[in-house]
Amino acid sequence: MSNQMDTIWSKLDRKATAIAEFTMRQYRTRISTWAVMGAGLMAILLMLLFYIDAMGTDIDPIDNDGDSFDSDGDGYPDGQERKYGTNPTNPNSFPSGVEPDDPSVWIDEDDFNWANLNGQNMSVGYDDDGDCLQKDTSSQRDANDNGIECDVYLEWNVRTQSYEILSDGGVDEDPDDNAYVKEAGHRAFVLGIGKFGIVYLLGIFLPLFLATGLIREEMSDGTLHYMLAKPIARGEILLYRMVGYLGIVWPYIIGLCTFLAVVTGFIGPSDGFFRWSDLGVWLSIAWAAMLVSFVYGMIFCSFGILWKNGVILAIIFATWELGMAFVALLSGGDSPIKFFSVIGWGLTLVDAGVALSWPDNWNLIEMGLWGGGNGDYYSWSGRWNYNALPGAEPLAVFSGKSGLNMANWAAFVTATMVLLVQGIVAWFIGQTLFKGKEVD
Amino acid sequence: MMPDMTQVGQAETKEWTPNVSVPVVMFNQVSKTYGRINALSGISLGISGGVTGILGMNGAGKSTLFKLMMGKLKPSSGDVKLFGTNPWKNSAPYSRVGFVSEGEKLHDWMTALDFVVTFARLHGMTRDEAREEAERVLEFVSLTDVMHKKIGQFSKGMRQRVKIAHALVNDPELIILDEPLQGCDPLARTTIMNVIKELGRLGRTVLVSSHILHEIERITEQIVILHHGRVLALGNSHAIREMIDQHPHKISLDCEQPREVAKYIMAIDAVTGLSFINPTQLMIETKNLGDVHKELPQVILQSGLKVTGIDNPDDDLQSILQYLTGGLA
Repeated sequence: MSNQMDTIWSKLDRKATAIAEFTMRQYRTRISTWAVMGAGLMAILLMLLFYIDAMGTDIDPIDNDGDSFDSDGDGYPDGQERKYGTNPTNPNSFPSGVEPDDPSVWIDEDDFNWANLNGQNMSVGYDDDGDCLQKDTSSQRDANDNGIECDVYLEWNVRTQSYEILSDGGVDEDPDDNAYVKEAGHRAFVLGIGKFGIVYLLGIFLPLFLATGLIREEMSDGTLHYMLAKPIARGEILLYRMVGYLGIVWPYIIGLCTFLAVVTGFIGPSDGFFRWSDLGVWLSIAWAAMLVSFVYGMIFCSFGILWKNGVILAIIFATWELGMAFVALLSGGDSPIKFFSVIGWGLTLVDAGVALSWPDNWNLIEMGLWGGGNGDYYSWSGRWNYNALPGAEPLAVFSGKSGLNMANWAAFVTATMVLLVQGIVAWFIGQTLFKGKEVD
Repeated sequence: MMPDMTQVGQAETKEWTPNVSVPVVMFNQVSKTYGRINALSGISLGISGGVTGILGMNGAGKSTLFKLMMGKLKPSSGDVKLFGTNPWKNSAPYSRVGFVSEGEKLHDWMTALDFVVTFARLHGMTRDEAREEAERVLEFVSLTDVMHKKIGQFSKGMRQRVKIAHALVNDPELIILDEPLQGCDPLARTTIMNVIKELGRLGRTVLVSSHILHEIERITEQIVILHHGRVLALGNSHAIREMIDQHPHKISLDCEQPREVAKYIMAIDAVTGLSFINPTQLMIETKNLGDVHKELPQVILQSGLKVTGIDNPDDDLQSILQYLTGGLA
């Protein structure tokens, strides 16, 4: 077996590595390579600065349920008056023999007590401040009618694959906004920069600048003759040139993702010293960007072979992909149109990876959009319009579902396979074009 | 066509074996058109062994001919065969071919050794084999002392020799050189000519193109004259030369006293006429250029007169073509 491996390696060592190695060295001697990669790094670093700034700044806590306000002006916040059973709107009614609380006591005083959500109907929450338990009758304390007093009932909706949140009122109604915005903001940044910045923008710009001319530039300046005069099929030249291109682009993507994973892992909010659970997400982002840059590379290189202004075709294609990226993002991954693209599959791969690494991600979004259940009730629609916690909406935008009706690991594998097939088909078309091309 | 794990080129994967019973290069009624322009029309050629000069003006179709041989262009009609195999369909024959293209572009960022080694590996050699071979061919073209320098720093002649080294690295049986002497200084010219002659002596089939007759004559006697995409003449250069010699040639002498010089010139038998073009120039007419050139220096020396220049105004390809085509060129 080892003898067999030796043979394969030493044989591969010849033509394939000769061209791949040559291609990588050629890239390294070009200023354009460094300019493109430098620009990508600069853009990412700039975004990272905003992130570091946001993570280091605490937002003012929000009194989501409004009970730190002293409605009647007697010096006692409404929450404290309710706790002692006095009338918060009557200045003559206040707890006697008790010092008035500082209003900040009544801000963020009833945080979420949710954990271990499992996709089934469940009762969660704890009334930390006791304002639900104070209510007079049992029916008031069990407004959601699930037989448990002062809880939040999560009803799993199989169709939408999400929870409907039914609260008894006054339970988990004033969450810790700062903790939430840090967590949600961190995740929104990771997903935003990962899906749009790395998988889409780097995934398309690196091949646009580096792969479009992979064969075409040598064809135009006449140096392709040296390679074509050797006993090697053109399909192989295309493939090995591509290997050389990936030899430059893939380490760059891996390096960038590793750097971001380390920086955000240490700076992001976490119980320990490092956010280990993010690594799966970064891995998905890097893997998706690697596959996407491979498929785009093959397609753009084929455009270059087809036409000397192939970059025009590549830009048109990139525009379609941009549209598909928005479709995939804005539909939350649900629109099947995204599957008619490369980026759609790339984002599907990331979404599947996110679902595996952060199983609580949708809960976090739903929790934040519900925000404690405070908001306006629209009688005409019979619905509440909840005030979302800061950070919840951006996280919702950048999160998506795989849109494949299968387990997440299966979606991850399927998206990988589809992207590989796309790349192989592009290679096949590219080498067919190349074989039929007269090189003058 | 998956990655070639055997690493011996399509040659072996398609069980390619050269056909030894046919000429190395075979053109059968080959035409190549670009839109409405005929680059080559109805070329039939078979070449095996020895050094062959392909002579033609710019645009005569020399490069097109070579690119068809190297499978870079597809013939519009007719068959091209390299060792009995269609080079457009199969790259396998290139394992026995070395090609020096006309273009001057090279990978300037590489050293000469790197360049030759890299392309040697495309013949399926290991790194060590490739390096050994590269050093051998670089010595053959006398570049050993500069092989670690970047090609970008090389002179034109050196660049041309790097290209030749790259083409020779697989020890090919057929070597094709497209205008190898163009733009080279005299020293490089001599080196390259010697390399080509040496290859011919080693029994390789060598094709060299040029638009300068006397250059080709210094290398080989076997020539093909291409003109407007057709084979105009083919054969031994002496035969062609003789054919040409039957029509009057002109030699011009630059001298201060043309009339005095003329008296001595008349003594040469081969001279058929003399004319005075201007006060310092004498034009000799002859049907036997060789004889005149043989005797001329002696005669001028005897005369003791001052001759500042000798020129053959029509000893260029243009006038030969004019003669061969009956003035249509």
